[in-house]
Amino acid sequence: MVLILLTLVFLLLRAVPGDPVTATLGGRATPAQIEAAQEAMGLNDPLIVQYLQYMGGALTGDFGNPVTDPRGVVEIVAETAPATMELALAGMLVAVTVGILVGGLAGRLRDTPFDIGGRLFGIIAYAAPVFWTGLLAQLFFAVKLGWLPSSGRAGGFDQPEWITGFYVLDSLLTGDMAALQSTIEHLILPAITLGLLVGGIFIRLVRVNMMQTLRSDYVEAARARGLRERNVLYRYGFKTALIPIVTIMGLQFALLLGNAVLTERTFNWPGLAQALVDFIGQRDYAAVQGIVTFIALVIVGVSLIIDIITGLVDPRVRY
Amino acid sequence: MSTENVDAAGPVRRGPAPGEPRTGLRARLSHAWQPFRRASRVSRVLIFSGLGIVVFFLFAAFLGPLLYEYDGTQYRVEVAPGQFEPIRALQPPSGEHPLGTTRDQFDVLGRIIDGASLAFAVMALAVSIAMILGVTLGLLSGYRGGPIDRALVTAMDAVYAFPALVLAIITAFALSAIISPGVIPAAAAVGVVYIPQYFRVVRNHTLSVKQEPFVEAARSMGAKERTVLGRYVFFNVVQTVPVILTLNAADSILVLASLGFLGYGVPPPTAEWGYDISRAITDVPAGVWWTALWPGLAIVILVTALTLVGEGLNDVINPLLRSRGKTGPKIEPAPREDTPADGGTAAGAAGAADAGQQSGRPSVAVRGLRVGYRTPDGPLWAVDDVSFDIYPGESLGLVGESGCGKSSLGRALMRLMPPGGVVRGRVEVAGEDMVGISESRLRNKRGQDLGLVFQEPMTRLNPLMKISDHFIEMIRTHKPKVSRAEALEIARTALSQMGIPPTRVESYPHEFSGGMRQRAMIALSIALEPKVIVADEPTTSLDVIVESQILDIFGRLRSEEQIGLLLVTHNLGLVAETCDRVAVMYAGKIVEIGPVDQIFNDPKHPYTRGLLASTISLETTELHSIEGYPPSLIDPPPGCRFAPRCPYVMDHCTDAVPQLAETNPEQRAACYLYPGAGAPVPEGVRAPEGNPQETGV
Ligand SMILES: Nc1ncnc2c1ncn2[C@@H]1O[C@H](COP(=O)(O)OP(=O)(O)OP(=O)(O)O)[C@@H](O)[C@H]1O
Ligand code: SF4
Ligand SMILES: [Mg+2]
Repeated sequence: MVLILLTLVFLLLRAVPGDPVTATLGGRATPAQIEAAQEAMGLNDPLIVQYLQYMGGALTGDFGNPVTDPRGVVEIVAETAPATMELALAGMLVAVTVGILVGGLAGRLRDTPFDIGGRLFGIIAYAAPVFWTGLLAQLFFAVKLGWLPSSGRAGGFDQPEWITGFYVLDSLLTGDMAALQSTIEHLILPAITLGLLVGGIFIRLVRVNMMQTLRSDYVEAARARGLRERNVLYRYGFKTALIPIVTIMGLQFALLLGNAVLTERTFNWPGLAQALVDFIGQRDYAAVQGIVTFIALVIVGVSLIIDIITGLVDPRVRY
Repeated sequence: MSTENVDAAGPVRRGPAPGEPRTGLRARLSHAWQPFRRASRVSRVLIFSGLGIVVFFLFAAFLGPLLYEYDGTQYRVEVAPGQFEPIRALQPPSGEHPLGTTRDQFDVLGRIIDGASLAFAVMALAVSIAMILGVTLGLLSGYRGGPIDRALVTAMDAVYAFPALVLAIITAFALSAIISPGVIPAAAAVGVVYIPQYFRVVRNHTLSVKQEPFVEAARSMGAKERTVLGRYVFFNVVQTVPVILTLNAADSILVLASLGFLGYGVPPPTAEWGYDISRAITDVPAGVWWTALWPGLAIVILVTALTLVGEGLNDVINPLLRSRGKTGPKIEPAPREDTPADGGTAAGAAGAADAGQQSGRPSVAVRGLRVGYRTPDGPLWAVDDVSFDIYPGESLGLVGESGCGKSSLGRALMRLMPPGGVVRGRVEVAGEDMVGISESRLRNKRGQDLGLVFQEPMTRLNPLMKISDHFIEMIRTHKPKVSRAEALEIARTALSQMGIPPTRVESYPHEFSGGMRQRAMIALSIALEPKVIVADEPTTSLDVIVESQILDIFGRLRSEEQIGLLLVTHNLGLVAETCDRVAVMYAGKIVEIGPVDQIFNDPKHPYTRGLLASTISLETTELHSIEGYPPSLIDPPPGCRFAPRCPYVMDHCTDAVPQLAETNPEQRAACYLYPGAGAPVPEGVRAPEGNPQETGV
């Protein structure tokens, strides 16, 4: 999986567009400079050698060096990825909460007004582009009501000391309550915007799964044993309905990362996705390739974590 | 049950008359309509409101530019020939510009209309690209198999796992090195995202179809393999692709807008909703809301509408999600026949008189029991006015053809109904009527007074709970005073009674074999020492050794614990071995009931005789099967329901329903061949006698 993903990234970015250096430096450099840059990036080597070098680098944690930025990709990632991850995790929290609450109830109350409303809410939450809902949220909560800040990760003087890069964690570690408050205030709008979108999908999934398990044989058998309805719904319907949800959470995480690009842009969130988009704007192939490689590795990592979680919650896949 | 409804559905089911094209079309339309009719009303409303909105947008996209005066990229108006006046920027909505103007001096409504055209164009292109590539690769992969298949599958999985939006951005980025930005590269970037979905569906169908015998057969008959494959894959895929397609179409609008928002979509100044919103970011703090609001609303509404259509289609196509029992007309509360339905009257008294060998109070007394379901084709009574008793320690067999209502009857004793099912009549268990009592009283009695064992043991236990937890939960629900340790002890005892080592109590259900699970289910249903166990084909899915073990267990429970047993089964041999009495059901009614040896050696009802004659046993001289099929329960035949298949049918058989009448001591049959069924037996009619396996039906 890792290898295939990396190969795809390589093919897409290295083999397709021809010459990255000319494209990046374009009219800004002399032919000699371009030649030198090409040599430095190993672009004059045969494709297969480049491929092997790329794969070797990616697997050993060397993602290359941008043309337009003196920092290495690893450094850039280290500086921006925590912001993205913090946003993504907060978004996931919102998504899971909304999805489970609304979806579970809708599946239980199927075809009632709550179900129809919940379903519609799920569809609309997914249909609304994050950058648009984000904009509206900014307009309303930040500009109009002034309750919450509209962009950035923390107020100018309230940034916590950088330890892990996760501001919530850092401010807790340093016991900096002002930073914690500022961080959370900044996190609320982007996390909810992002989380609602993915939550829309969760609502659908949870609802359908809930409906299916509620009609399953073991639910009928549980009723035949005279168990309390609350028990039947929770232990037999709800809990078992969540198992397939956990297994597909990896895919939802990918969706979340994709939409983090938009959320970061909307809320001016200094994350990895923002960096990626900036490098794309500067046509910096080396940087784009490095960041995309990192994202690919994250995706693989997340799917591993999901596998582990599934193993923990589902006795059928315990080893 | 309403006859109008059956009539209304009648013409739909009748085929088109030949040579009448109008009927043909109608029939075909109603055939296509069939799944919609079966889907819930909610799904139908969703689909059609969604479709309405999509059609509205299509009109806007195609006719809008002709009807509306402003173009999306027009920044000035020609006031006189050759004389232009610029459109003023950032004007709020007004009569002149209904949705306002942008900072680039464009008319917002004009841009929304043009944006719709673009969205539809990109949507169509992107989905086509994805479909063509996905289907081709899927066919190739499934057809060729081997390393190509493996490589493609992994690659597609990888693409699928990658964040869609990032993939689209990178593709747009990579493509921009080759071709200049425009509609086509944007559509390609959007389309790449969806390839894996089509790939997967087509590949899986190709693979499964390739192994089908009919493909082999067609091949050997000289048909070109590829044509055959193609055709079958096509027909299978056609069922799933519409859903994927609609949902992708919805999603593609979002991806296109996102690309546009980030500046990697169609280059400006082409009207595109996402780009327009990105232009509006700086307007928002200045209090200019109309430039951001409208394009966003357009996206939300169109995507929602498309998703509604897709989800609705999914509901319609995917029968798993169909809400069974909630469609179709309601069941009329009034019993439809004139036979009294409650205890104490004729049927009840007769039922009590049938009495069986035992004396004393029955554990279960059933009187005038009916079970009804709502179905899309109309309501039906799966069990129709049935009465019987089960005495302590007695075992009553319940036999009959598939679909005659045996399982419905078994579940009705517990009032365990799916949505849309109703139970009428009386089921007296330990002095209380299961049909009439409150939900909480009912829950108390379920599991405690009545145990139910199901046919399929594999799926009846909660996969996430240990066997022990199933026991503890149930025991402590009914007897809160019992401690966990005590409950665990009961579980151990019950399991070891079933021949399962008590140490296995901490296992999960998946660690048990089918036979063990069934024994665990039985242990669970006897843990609270119920008065009666209803066992619905408890051994059908098990091998003979486990079967005889389970029957032994039942035998012991009956003799030692005086537990009554209702054994539902197809297997007459099983009944002969295990049961004291047997009830024969046909089309929702008990047609004959009596002691096992009498029913087996001298059955009275022609249906029972037919059933026995079609069973192999030592005495079999000739194997007969009953001609025809059981009738539809929605519109059962009048009078005796067996009349259409009965070799002894008489004129008056179809006049009224025959009543159960005593034919031998303790044996009763509902047939006009015997006196007491409700009409005098005509002169010269001789009822059949003896064992039908020897003397014939
Ligand atoms: N949930 C339901 N909704 C609508 N109709 C149903 C439902 N369950 C059963 N039926 C109908 O009721 C009738 C009796 O079904 P039931 O399952 O009781 O038959 P059965 O005698 O147990 O058959 P089998 O021997 O195949 O198990 C059938 O015609 C069936 O189509
Ligand atoms: S009542 Fe008539 S039709 Fe029915 S079983 Fe008896 S003889 Fe046959
Ligand atoms: Mg059955």
